[in-house]
Amino acid sequence: MALNIDYKHLIQADKVHGSLYTEDAIYEDEIEKIFYSSWVYIGHESEIKKTGDFVARDIGRSAVIMVRDKDKSVNVLVNRCAHRGNNLCNEMDGNKRNFSCLYHGWVFGLNGDLLDVPYPDGFTKDKKDHGLQKLVTDSYRGFVFACFKEPTVSFDEYLGNGKKLIDRACNLSPEGEIDLTGGWVRQKFDANWKMLPENDTDGYHVNYVHQSFVQVIPSQYNEFVGEESSNKGVIRDWGNGHTEIDFAAGYVNCLDWLGSNVEKSKSYVDKMHQAYGQEEADQRLFDGPPHSCIFPNLFLAEMNIVIFQPTGTHSCVQWSTPMFLKGVPELNFKLLRQSEGALGPAAFLLADDATIAERAQKALQAGTPWCDLSRGIDREIVRPDGVKESRMSDETSNRGFWHHYRSVMLGEV
Amino acid sequence: MSQSVEFEVSRELEAFIIQEAKLADEGQYLEWHDLWADDAVYWVPLKEDDDPAEKASHLYDNYSRLTTRVKQLNTGNRFSQVPISGMRRVISNYEFFEQADGKFRVEANFYLPEYSIQSTHNFRIWSGRYTYTLSRHEGGFKIHMKKILLVNAIEPISTLSFLI
Repeated sequence: MALNIDYKHLIQADKVHGSLYTEDAIYEDEIEKIFYSSWVYIGHESEIKKTGDFVARDIGRSAVIMVRDKDKSVNVLVNRCAHRGNNLCNEMDGNKRNFSCLYHGWVFGLNGDLLDVPYPDGFTKDKKDHGLQKLVTDSYRGFVFACFKEPTVSFDEYLGNGKKLIDRACNLSPEGEIDLTGGWVRQKFDANWKMLPENDTDGYHVNYVHQSFVQVIPSQYNEFVGEESSNKGVIRDWGNGHTEIDFAAGYVNCLDWLGSNVEKSKSYVDKMHQAYGQEEADQRLFDGPPHSCIFPNLFLAEMNIVIFQPTGTHSCVQWSTPMFLKGVPELNFKLLRQSEGALGPAAFLLADDATIAERAQKALQAGTPWCDLSRGIDREIVRPDGVKESRMSDETSNRGFWHHYRSVMLGEV
Repeated sequence: MSQSVEFEVSRELEAFIIQEAKLADEGQYLEWHDLWADDAVYWVPLKEDDDPAEKASHLYDNYSRLTTRVKQLNTGNRFSQVPISGMRRVISNYEFFEQADGKFRVEANFYLPEYSIQSTHNFRIWSGRYTYTLSRHEGGFKIHMKKILLVNAIEPISTLSFLI
């Protein structure tokens, strides 16, 4: 399968081929190469605080469970009984002492080890060889990533500049930690999953797709619409497929990104001053959170965390939850409502993005179209550290995504 | 404690809800907006018992946000509803209660096939339980709360920019 896919031809410096969104063979190849052979984001440690706490996720075609073990470590286990393949755990989250299968009663520990087989006399094999499939895991500041196979790229190398982006998010908490306990809203898109990371760091569409939002809702985004020359937002390709729209240069006041100011959010500002000193805290409170995609499936969506889940060639799911800041629970109500306002199926923004993606998905199935991604290719700059930057309306971020995607699909990384 | 209401009153409440549904189906946004009280809560939770102060919902509008929602729909540029989805919802299995504070609570099942003419051209099926809190106002009623518990609320759901 997928032997004759010419990724070098389909992904060029300034354009990508429509079949990348619509061909089943390419989708299957992505599941194997990206979701089953490379590092992917699973969840955050704050979702499973106590021993036995777990959350269910879907990665590639597999259901997995991220669970807190007795020794406080985090395991990512395939949610499938090692006996006859029944799914072990049907809940999205919860707390368990162990995982037992409804089919024949096999019991697995929080580390995936097979603990008990009913009527043991008839089963003479070594239980050690029949545990749950366990993924290789690593984490950075509570963000847990995993790989189904022994990874060919180290976690540090994979995450690369993504660490700076995660730092920028965590640094908004006076305790340096985020807390994902607000629940996950999941929105279904009848569109290929790659349209999510593409669109989420596309700074060009805001004036058009979101014109109804701009017309009726005063927000921090108003600084980033209108003439291209007056828009101070920066688009960035951080390498490894990690991409960003950086709004910091366009903000006018501290806490613009929160739709707030230092008077209204005094207790938060005070806590930040106390934790980091005035100068450092004020800088963080001015710059705000990242708006960045970490390849392939994590989106640091300002004050939200988002996961991309492919579900088929023509469908995907976007998960979103508000990014609570540890030590500042007084912001939670505001963050919840902002999350619902921006992301999710009924949001003022994402509902329209979904419609555009679905229309594109339908249109791309006809003929053999190319999608142009050349915007800004001649004016983007390459910084000394290799990071590419350009105007917010340029397609530097999308080129960065596709460049890395091509390397992964060609087996170069 | 709440108690059942007189038959005539239940007919009035049902007629009001039928009218509200018709305005939503037909995208008569301003008329729909006029049905709401100042303390409006328009809510699609993920789970029935979720506390909106702690958990995200698919949708949780107060009066101000509901007003913004209607304004956005009325720009004509809310592309996820241009053109408006084809909708004719069916509401049934009504239960009517009068609360101690004099307000009415009405619960009912609904079935809403949505024809997504602006995107996939597919039918999408929405179903669940409506819970309304209503009070009498100038010969009619005002809506204080409309809670919509989808049967598949914890699953991924499609674009919900129409009025459910």
